[in-house]
Amino acid sequence: MIRFVDTTKVYSNGVVGLKNVTVNIEKGEFVFVIGASGSGKSTFLKLIMHEEAPTEGEVYVNGYSIHNMPRSEIPYLRRSLGVVFQDFRLLPNKTAYENVAFAMQIVEASPREIRRQVPLALALVGLSKKAKAYPNQMSGGEQQRIALARALVNNPSVLIADEPTGNLDPKTSWEIINLLEEINQRGTTVVVATHEKDIVDTLKKRVIVLDRGEIIRDEQKGLYLNEN
Amino acid sequence: MKIRTLRLLAKEGTNNLYKNKLMSLASIMTVVAALFFLGIVLLIAVNITSNIEAMKRDLDITVFLKVDASDFEREEVIAYIEREKEAGVISQYRMETKEQAYENIKSELKNEALLKGLSAENLPESFYIKLTDPAYSDEVIVQLTKFTGVNTEYGIGYNKSGLERLEKILKVFNYIVMVILVILMVIAVFLISNTIRLTVYARRREIEIMKYVGALDSFIRWPFIVEGILIGFVGALASFFATSQAYTWLQNVLNSILSSMGLSTLRIIEFSPVALHIFAIYAIFGVMIGGVGSILSVRKHLNV
Repeated sequence: MIRFVDTTKVYSNGVVGLKNVTVNIEKGEFVFVIGASGSGKSTFLKLIMHEEAPTEGEVYVNGYSIHNMPRSEIPYLRRSLGVVFQDFRLLPNKTAYENVAFAMQIVEASPREIRRQVPLALALVGLSKKAKAYPNQMSGGEQQRIALARALVNNPSVLIADEPTGNLDPKTSWEIINLLEEINQRGTTVVVATHEKDIVDTLKKRVIVLDRGEIIRDEQKGLYLNEN
Repeated sequence: MKIRTLRLLAKEGTNNLYKNKLMSLASIMTVVAALFFLGIVLLIAVNITSNIEAMKRDLDITVFLKVDASDFEREEVIAYIEREKEAGVISQYRMETKEQAYENIKSELKNEALLKGLSAENLPESFYIKLTDPAYSDEVIVQLTKFTGVNTEYGIGYNKSGLERLEKILKVFNYIVMVILVILMVIAVFLISNTIRLTVYARRREIEIMKYVGALDSFIRWPFIVEGILIGFVGALASFFATSQAYTWLQNVLNSILSSMGLSTLRIIEFSPVALHIFAIYAIFGVMIGGVGSILSVRKHLNV
């Protein structure tokens, strides 16, 4: 599903993002990627989304190879992924419904499909009642749930979440995490970058720990631990 | 790309135009100003060209016969002129008899003393010839000098070299206008792309989000292009209106100045005959300026 093969990323200013990373994430897995800031966590996610291209080595995502990927293919790679960010990134001038529908319009879904799928996605995140609300009329947790609905509405096989609870209070954070787990149980591969110890330790999922661009720990049912 | 997607993108573009009222207004004003200048240059060019054309049409060939030319010699010249008229070389001509020449002189001179000793008999007959095209002038003049009755002593009155100079100036002028138009166009595209860049910059987050959701470049670009084209077209409409008002006012003012200066042969032309051309040019330029400006300003933000 996602495979890094001896991947190195050096930024143009000389900063090393990742160093010889080899890792395999299987279909249906739930993975936490943890590490201090500057550990390479963001680079790891950026390579998966092709926000950056690897300097050396290869990254395979959903059958796409990221190294030397033609520009024209990038949108199709991203359509196979759902992405959620710390800052939600909803379009402020569109309602919750429109934000979710927008993701379907982009892939040129039919209006009928959109009318059927968007309410399902909103129901999945428990926000059917907020369909007509604009982002600034919703709480942070609600916005993140709308962002989740948007990420999922096209049925991606992989969901990438970059610090999804970074801006949320603990109670709301748990709501989001529970949703992610539920989504994972439906078969979607979920990759979550986080530095919230509580969440990692409670869920006991696979943990990949990065430090200075290298994987220093990769365990099933891992804990956060503070060795770094 | 599917039809409904195109419709969606057109709608997005129109909505954006409305949502960013202030920016849209700024962009539209840029187009209005650019096209207004373009229009002024064009209208000056049209006026100069039309006046030179009019001057060219008004240049006559004047042929004087010898004072003692015989009837036969005169008939010969008339026959030649008639022939050329039939052939479409000469558009019209007028003959001045000795008596008419005397009357003309009399009315011009007014001073009886100078007229003493002058009679119709010692004045020449003459022809005033208008050509359908000044290009024929060489040929016609050569032919006319061959007639024995024609007085070639003072040459045949025709300001050939003056005309040629005029045409050369006209040619150079046209090139200059062309260069000015291109420069104006480039400046306009630059200005408009700068203004649109601000609207694009204001929406860079939106573009970023679209990229993350997997939007094709064209999907992101088209609403901006639609917006640019609309800005260009609305600007063209406004500029056309402004130009027609300003020009009509200026036309009246200048025409009355010209006629009060006794330069009534020079005319500032009416707006209505060129209105459609001006509008077409404005619309085409406006739409192009807006579209190209948008493409240029979105390009940078597409690389996410």
